[in-house]
Formats: sequence, structure tokens, C-alpha cells
Amino acid sequence: MIEDILVCLEGSSSGARASEVAIEVAQRLGVPLVGLAIVDEPDINARQATGIGGSSYKQQRDEVLLEDAKAQAKGWLDAFAERCRAAGVTSRALELRGRPDTTILEELQGHDLTILGRHANFRFETQDEDHQTRDTILRHAGKPVMVVPEGSAAAGPSILICYDGSLASRRALVSFAQSGLAGERPVHVAAVDDDGATAWEIANKGCKLLRELEVRAEPHNIVSTLSIAEAILERRAKLDAGLIVLGAYTRSRFSRMLWGSVTHDLLAASTVPLYLHY
Amino acid sequence: MSTLTPTWAVIPFALYLFLIAVLPLVVGRFWDKNQNKLALAMAAATPVVIYLLGSHPGGALLLLETGREYVAFMALLGALFVISGGIYLRGTLAGTPAVNTLFLAVGAVLASVVGTTGASALLIRPLLRANARRRHTRHIVIFFIFIVANGGGLLTPLGDPPLFLGFLRGVPFAWTLRLIGPWALVNSVLLVVFHLLDRLFAKREPAVQAIAAASSVEPLEIQGRLNLVWLLGVVATVFVVGSYGDRLFASTAMRSAVQVILMLVFAGLSIATTEREIHEANRFTWAPIIEVGVVFVGVFLTMVPALSFLEERGASIGITQPWQFFWASGGLSSVLDNAPTYLTFASLATGVADGGAGILKVADLGALAAHPVGQGLLAAVSCGSVLMGAITYIGNGPNFMVKAIAEQHHVRMPSFFGYVLWSVVILVPLFVVVAFVFF
Repeated sequence: MIEDILVCLEGSSSGARASEVAIEVAQRLGVPLVGLAIVDEPDINARQATGIGGSSYKQQRDEVLLEDAKAQAKGWLDAFAERCRAAGVTSRALELRGRPDTTILEELQGHDLTILGRHANFRFETQDEDHQTRDTILRHAGKPVMVVPEGSAAAGPSILICYDGSLASRRALVSFAQSGLAGERPVHVAAVDDDGATAWEIANKGCKLLRELEVRAEPHNIVSTLSIAEAILERRAKLDAGLIVLGAYTRSRFSRMLWGSVTHDLLAASTVPLYLHY
Repeated sequence: MSTLTPTWAVIPFALYLFLIAVLPLVVGRFWDKNQNKLALAMAAATPVVIYLLGSHPGGALLLLETGREYVAFMALLGALFVISGGIYLRGTLAGTPAVNTLFLAVGAVLASVVGTTGASALLIRPLLRANARRRHTRHIVIFFIFIVANGGGLLTPLGDPPLFLGFLRGVPFAWTLRLIGPWALVNSVLLVVFHLLDRLFAKREPAVQAIAAASSVEPLEIQGRLNLVWLLGVVATVFVVGSYGDRLFASTAMRSAVQVILMLVFAGLSIATTEREIHEANRFTWAPIIEVGVVFVGVFLTMVPALSFLEERGASIGITQPWQFFWASGGLSSVLDNAPTYLTFASLATGVADGGAGILKVADLGALAAHPVGQGLLAAVSCGSVLMGAITYIGNGPNFMVKAIAEQHHVRMPSFFGYVLWSVVILVPLFVVVAFVFF
């Protein structure tokens, strides 16, 4: 059962939605939230070739960016605390200095679930997106992470678990079942395969595993000419699922390079939160 | 006993330039302190000073001349730095491709009047403000570095420190106007390429149309206008004293002293008459010019035997043609500061043009500038040193300043090698054309 949730705070629109989702989940489960803001001091202060006269400008630049980063972090933490107070959710603010990926990975080990925005940008001193941090967290977390897209669409009532029988997929299914997130919501287990019978068998195995963990679920086999990610999203829409559960990066790096990544495609295209466990 | 400069005497210069480039990366905290930079400068200069005073013919006089040149050099850099720091462009224009291109075009001209550093400091913040609502702005800053921080400064001795060093050593004030061909070619091509690129990026941003029509656009207003008078004073001082000084003053020392004093006076007037708010808006501090002054102590001192060495042996090194000087001086300028690189290759050019006759001297680049062969070599060195300072962030002083200011405005600038990719793709083909057409 989830006992506390870590929310990664930053300025993207998906980050704002992630805070809202975290508060909704915390209200439902009656658990506290920890809001984490990162000041990426190591990257701001990283050494650079500066030329003659440049080191003075570098120092000035570093000071300005650091002050900006601290002010932004404080702003997000204050806004988060205020939203939690208004929602009646217990919360704690945490500001840490360090590289975003390593700092978040270290901190999340002490929490049961981590929630962050799909386009979370922890290097907010620049305009660019920062998917590298998100992907590093997903690959190395070893714990459940919920990635929330931007947009304010109301969450559908049901939950769709994508199950392919792999170790990561099994891990995600088990941790989700134990989290308490299912509650009274309808749960569906879907398997995608070219052979309908194989997919049906895999989906049923997933449902059986859930039954052992006291979660009722309905199996679905998906045979489609679409890509796996597209097929899953199509089924999600049909079932009006407000959450997709899957094991992250179940393919090897080499396979991902050749065939692409279902996780990556779903992260890019899903309009509902993804519960991932790698 | 040989009176030629020994090879080992060049080592402190080469080593010092290498350390200036590498130390910020390796021991950043050490390099941050100006006293450490001064200590390094002194350490590098000590064997050179000992050699000049003990073994080099006329070494003491050389040191004296070097000191005079250093003071004049820093007086100009300091005066331009202070005066441009007292001018602020308030207001916000619309960041459309047309406006941005016009900004860069103005910067290309201004750079030759107030120097690449002054023009960059003056224009970068208004340009960033004009484009604050745009998503793709990195290319704007990159082309700003190409044009305003480098290519624009080719036309007068005020434009870039290498050209002022040439002027201090006798190159006539108006001599660099003959470089208008390369200046016009490089800057006009860059402006056209930039305009097309900016239009491409702007098409991806529908908001640019809204920006153009926005009522939040405020006309630009120049604050600290009195500094334009002081700036005119500096330009007039350099021109008059440099061009007519031998007629006006009894000695070189007096001429130099008057030039320095006048520049310090104008800088002082700028400090006294500029409102504090303008300095705050420009984030004006003394730190950068102090850093330049400290580092250049080492450059000027260690440079002395290196220049003598090249003057003596120039003809035998193998670089003899203008196009070779263009690429060699440019190549080194891209990774080492362009001021010492200019003098290094001007020295080499002196040796080549002189052909062992012992007539041309690096101390008198005016003679080289008037020499039938030498003038072509000097033109190539000038163009190479100034233009190719744009190839890396460390090739010219204002490059990193512009990058740092852009990052303060949350523009994600490319990494060192990311920027080099831009400059290699865009600038190197253009420089091939310049070399082919002019050298």
C-alpha cells in the first residue's frame, strides 16, 4: 500500500498537471505528499572554456542563473504547499541542490510512488525540453513512477494494465495491485500480439496474478495492424481508462534501437497518466 | 655569439596562451580569482624578463616599449568598456526577422566604431528582449556573435583589439578601411543567411505575427546619451593623436601619454555623468576589464621574444602567401585570443616581406602596411585574426560575454563543440570564398 508520494515540481504545464493528479491520489488514499524542487547547481556552475575576460562574465551568469533557480524553486514549493492546504492534503516541501536525475533518484528511494510531468524540465534556466532526466529516472528508479501529461481532461473511471508477461510487466502489475490505486475502479488487462489466442492467454495470466493479489480484472486480447502503442491507446479510449499501467522499457536497448520503444511511444502520445515500473 | 632569439624564449608565450585556454576548464575555481591569473602571468613572464634584460640586445628598451603599448592598449579597451557600459537602450522592439536582421546590420557598422565588445554589450540585451517571447532564439545569438562580436569590427582600429595593436605599431588609422571588401562580403552574406533562417524559424512560431502587431512594443530610447559625446572624444583622440601625433608632439612617449590621459579623462567623465540605474541595467562591473588587464600583462610580456623570433626567422617557416597567412592567423585566432595571434603573424609577415634585409620591423607595422608585398600579408592577417575569432567561444573576448548574457536571459546556447558545428558549417565556406576572392 502506498504510504507517501513524492511529487517532482517544476514549471512545465505537465508538471502543474502532475501536482493536481498527485493531490487527487493523495486525497483518495489519505496519504501525505512531499513536493520536491531541484536547484541544478552543478550544471549551472559547470566549468566552461571562457577565453580572456570571460570568467568574470561566467561568474556573473552563474550567480544570476542560481538566483533565478532558487527563486523559481521557492515559488513552486510555495504554490504546491498552498494547493495542498486548500485540498486538505498533508504535505512537506523539499528543496535540494544537485543534478536533477541523481538527486531525484536518490530521494525517490524513500517514497512509495513518484509523480512527475511528461515534459518535466528540471533545467528550467533554459527553454529546451529535458526528456533525458525523465528517461534516466524511469530507467533507474526501481520503484513505481507515474508520468502525467499536460492537459486538464477529466480522468476516465477505469484502469488499463498493459501486460506482456515480461519481468518488468509483471513487476508493474504486482506493484500496482499492492499500491491501492485500483480501489473500486474497473481494471482491464490487455495483451497485444499478432496471434489472438496468444494474447488472450497472456492477458488471462495477468488477470490470474491480479486475482491472487485480490484485484478483479477483465482480460483483453488486442490484435491490430497498428503499432503496439497505438493499439493500446485505441483500446484505452474505448475503455475510457484514466490510467495506463505498464512495465517500462521491457525491450533491450538494442531492440529499442531497432524496433523502437513502446514506453517511449506511449510517453509521447498518451493523454492520460502512465504508471511505470522498471 | 648569436644575436638571434633562442627558440626556448618562445615557450613561455605558447605555454601561457595554452594555459589561458585550458585552465578555466580544468581548475575553474583557481582561475576565477584575478590574483591567481596575475600570479600565472608573472610566472610566465619572469623567464622572459630575465632573458630580455640579461641576454637580448636592446631588451630593456623593448620592455619599455611593451609597457607603453600595454598602457595605451588597456586605456583604449578600458575607455570603450566604461563608456559603452554607460549607454543603455531602453524599450522593446518586435522580434521579427526584419527587425532582427536590421539589428544585426546596425551592429555590424557599430562594431567598427565602438569596438566589437562595446557594440555587443550595447545591442545584445535589447535584441534578447525583442525576442523574449519567441521559442527559437539560439540562432539569433549565434549570428550576433558572428556579425556584431566579430565580423563587424574589421573596418577601423577601434573595431577589434588586434587592429588597435596594429595601429599602436604604426598602421595608419584609415588603412583598415581597405578591408571593406571582405567586411562587406562576410557581413552581407551572413545577414542574408540569417534573415532566411530567421524567417524559417519564425514560420514555426505563429506567435511571431502576434509579436509584430503587439501593442507592448516600445520604441527604443538611448539612455546615457552623454556617453556618445565621450565616445566621440575617444574616437577623435585615437584618430588625431594616431594620425598627426608625430607632428603635434615632440616624442613618441609624449604622444602616447597624451593619448592615454585623454582616454582616461573621457572614461572618468563617463563614470561621473552616468546614472547608477544605467550601470545596474547593464550589470556593469569592473571585473571583466580587470581580468583582461591582468591576463594581458602576461600576453604582452611573454610575446616580446616570440615576436622577435618570428621576425628573424619568418621567411624560413614556410608561410609566405596571403591566403596562407589568412588561414594560419585565422585558425589560431579561433582557439587563442586574436590580439596576440595578430601580432604573431604580423611579425611573421614582417620577416617574410623583409626577406632578411633587416629593414622591416614588427615594432613598425606602418612600414609593413606600406610595403608592396607586406600590405597584402597584413591585410590577410587582419582579416584572418578578426573574422575567424568567431569560430569558437574563446576566439574573441565578446563571444563568451554574449553567450553568458544570452544564458542569463534563458536562451540555451550550444555547447562549445555545438557552437563550433554552427560556425564550421556557416563560416568556413564563406571564408573559403573570402580567401579565394581577396587573397
